[in-house]
Amino acid sequence: MALQLKERISSMDQLIGTNDKRMDFKWVGKPNVPGKLSYALATGTAKFGSDYVVPNMCEARFLRSPHANAKLLSVDLEAGLAVPGVIDIITWEDEELKKIGAQPFGPPGRPYLDEYAEQDTAEVGVIVVAENEDICELALKALDPQWEVLPFIVDIEKGRDTEHPVIRQLNYTKMDMFGPQPAKPKAANVSYADTIQGDVDAVFAKTDADHIFEYTVELPAFASHIPNQVGSIAWWFDDPYHPEGPALHVEGAVQRRTSVGQMYGVPDERTVQEGLFQGGKYCDWGMRKAQEITPFLAKRVGRPVRCVDTREETFGFLMNQRHMSIKVAFDDRGVITAVDDYSVADGGTFSNSSFGTANDQGYGPYYTLRCLDIRQRMEIIDTNRGMMYLSGQHCPFNWDSVTVALHIIADKLNTDVIEIAKRNLHGPESQEDPNEVLSFEACIEAGKEMMDWDWHATGAKTLPDGRKHGAAFRYQMCPRHAFSGYESKLEYKGGKVHLPTQGPCTGIFAVECNALVVAEEVGVDYDDVVIDFDYRHTFTPVGGGSDGSSASSWATKENAVLLKNMILKQAVEEAENPPAGGMFSFGPPTPNPLKGYKPEDLDLVDGKIVVKADPQISHPLGLAVKKTLVSTFEGRPPAAIWGHMGKKFDTMNTVYAEVAVDEETGIVEVTKYGTAIDPGKVLRSTSLESQLDQSVYFSVGCQLTEDYYFDQETGVQLNKNMIDYKHPGVLDVPPSLKVALETRSGNAAYGASGISHSLSNTHLIMCAIHNATGVWVQPPATPDKVLKALGKI
Amino acid sequence: MANDKISTSVTAEAAHQRAADLIAAVPSSLAAYRCPLCNRDFGSYDALVAHYGDEHPASVLPVTVTLDLNGKLCDLLIEPHWTLQRTLQFRLGLTGAKHMCDRGVCGSCTVIVDNRPILACQILTIELEDTKIQTVEGIAADPKWKPLIDAYCKWDAMQCGYCTPGFLVAAKALLDRNPNPTEQDCKEALAGNICICGTYPRHSQAILEAALKIA
Repeated sequence: MALQLKERISSMDQLIGTNDKRMDFKWVGKPNVPGKLSYALATGTAKFGSDYVVPNMCEARFLRSPHANAKLLSVDLEAGLAVPGVIDIITWEDEELKKIGAQPFGPPGRPYLDEYAEQDTAEVGVIVVAENEDICELALKALDPQWEVLPFIVDIEKGRDTEHPVIRQLNYTKMDMFGPQPAKPKAANVSYADTIQGDVDAVFAKTDADHIFEYTVELPAFASHIPNQVGSIAWWFDDPYHPEGPALHVEGAVQRRTSVGQMYGVPDERTVQEGLFQGGKYCDWGMRKAQEITPFLAKRVGRPVRCVDTREETFGFLMNQRHMSIKVAFDDRGVITAVDDYSVADGGTFSNSSFGTANDQGYGPYYTLRCLDIRQRMEIIDTNRGMMYLSGQHCPFNWDSVTVALHIIADKLNTDVIEIAKRNLHGPESQEDPNEVLSFEACIEAGKEMMDWDWHATGAKTLPDGRKHGAAFRYQMCPRHAFSGYESKLEYKGGKVHLPTQGPCTGIFAVECNALVVAEEVGVDYDDVVIDFDYRHTFTPVGGGSDGSSASSWATKENAVLLKNMILKQAVEEAENPPAGGMFSFGPPTPNPLKGYKPEDLDLVDGKIVVKADPQISHPLGLAVKKTLVSTFEGRPPAAIWGHMGKKFDTMNTVYAEVAVDEETGIVEVTKYGTAIDPGKVLRSTSLESQLDQSVYFSVGCQLTEDYYFDQETGVQLNKNMIDYKHPGVLDVPPSLKVALETRSGNAAYGASGISHSLSNTHLIMCAIHNATGVWVQPPATPDKVLKALGKI
Repeated sequence: MANDKISTSVTAEAAHQRAADLIAAVPSSLAAYRCPLCNRDFGSYDALVAHYGDEHPASVLPVTVTLDLNGKLCDLLIEPHWTLQRTLQFRLGLTGAKHMCDRGVCGSCTVIVDNRPILACQILTIELEDTKIQTVEGIAADPKWKPLIDAYCKWDAMQCGYCTPGFLVAAKALLDRNPNPTEQDCKEALAGNICICGTYPRHSQAILEAALKIA
């Protein structure tokens, strides 16, 4: 990826982020530095939770519902226990099981296991422990479970009917952690949430009909991208260092070791976990029952117990379905003056995340506009479709309700959609800020050049092979996380700097990003930054996506500066007062060239302490400082833009797509896909590029191939497997162009901000298809849907 | 219970050694014949058969097989319906062939059998006697393939890393049959592998670079 720091960007110095204006970088931003865990991952020696197999282990399986909504009435326990190899069967009526409480982000107030199942494959009623998985399955069949099949909803439009039977039999309080207060009392299966700013009706009343349009956006549901089956293995043992009680070893609950320990009353010091790897959970923070139950079962049977979901049981939502009906008013210049959004959202099963539903109203895309009159009303439908775990990569996708509006206006005014976007985007500080967003301007300048952007009116361009050409554009702000991973500890030992960490909480390179920052600021070689992975450590770098910027790097950089100062002071101290040699030191001490200097006279460069005034005078770090030094820093970046809900910007991102649509076959080919981004400062370029590749994958997947199918008669999902659910493969992903600007206007180290998943989208390709053909297709744009939209079938 | 060795091979050399250690740890002969139904050990296969006759007459007997795995012959006791992926993970301690789709779709469990990439979740272990099986651990332990692993790490051809070994094995199989692939050759060779982190473009870069060094 070419890094372009254009002249105009240098004028953004006033925007520069916190903690330093360093311009020369040796390590930060350097491409192709292998990740510290990469070799373990590439060679298959890294062990994920479901990989663990230990001696004398037995297996556990939950009973799963075959119905979309059902109550378990009874099981034949005797028949189940009679299956050879069954060790124990625990039911929801077990008194010990009832003592297990809900976990963070879990279903509040609901027992850990009960007799209700709100979707097919939901865990319900019974857990079998046996010598192996096959025996578990035999026993589950032998149980001959009897069900009361309950009314269900898998079609959210049908669920809107307040005459529909109530599907949720449970009477537990649902805590909506992030959503706004309900707009009005729940009716049948429908909850309501409104977020209103200004007076939309007044604007519409004074706007002529030519400047008002209505449209629909169907946000597609698509699958979570957890690649591995979720599960855990646990056993209890006696730890001689902690004889006060049994110690718990649990694998597969990465990042939730503490909470799993708490479930069973085991303090951190007696809760052991060696594994670092959990697969691509990214922002899916939810725990599955298979990750929580094994300590209970291991205690019950006195042996290690493994419980791992199958792939079919690991098919939660990355994003819930939502139908949006939107009415927009705009002026002669294409500036949106009012937005009235009425959405019907899938509220999912019990304890589904409010991200993707009511919570999104709080930071919806509309607040990026100059428009001040915005009304968002939402019906949230209890359904049996499935579960979206917090937070599910939801927010970036929702921004496309504005993306579509901008394309409709561009079409009406026959004006480049980028120009329409520029007119609508508010200034950096607020919706009333008249100034342009410099980061945005730089992105579109670079993006246009990269794409050879040549916008045309709808349907106006036909390719030489007869296919129709279309182009589309969207923007997004960098999310600028600042919510965790800001307790940094560094340790200097024997010429190397150690970065203790429990590792990344997801499969990203955030640790390496922080190690690069340490190498840069302390002045040592990257190979001399040793990452000490240990689950006991506190520091968990996270935030800003694959290049791991944001909060973590900010704290790391501050701490690295502290450590460097400590090292220089200690170098002077040891030059003046050489430490006593060890038992086997003989002869006079080595002459120290730093004697007589003050800390401010010295610098640390490439692993040597040098005299600033005469760099020829230097001393290797390992010889200059023998003492072990520890520095800590706890702090977070001064602002988390995320909390400003789109009303404030620093760095921005832009995405472009071009398609070729065959109007005879309905086949859509993405011929060019480009991202022009401003992550503020690239911290680890290779992983940042990888993050961009991921955003292309997400976007192509949900717009061209991925979809959930439900049997409308039974409510059962029909394609919970990787044959029938079409994840894109390498041949499905288009070539993508990338350009990264570095305006240094984020709030993390060196003004980095990170891009997170903000480039992913649900409707960019849909907009390009419209630009090509003049018809709107709702994702995924499979050939049959394209032909239907074209009126050909 | 002693903790397993922490599996964070942070350098190429450590990963190479770890893979070699894992292969060395694969038992070459059976020390005991454990009943999968009641977890009891027997001193011989005949004793296990007798036990089945007495206590599990309606159950299918486990079988013994000999595999040629990463150049090492090993005797195993498995159940006849076990896939190679399950055998590798549950009998041999080799977890590089990842369990993911279980349907032969994702390629995460790819191994090489008689020089062809094979999906370990789709083939029964009992079918593999008299074949030569190579897993990602075998590739990692072979210095010849260090450039491929280096290139994968250099180009971040992974994010969460779960599917990565399957890609790497498929890449090695490609280079076995075509030492000078084009980018399109790489894509076609990897078309049976799914990466849910979307790292696809990184793989071709890594393979093309490695090919130049290996050739």
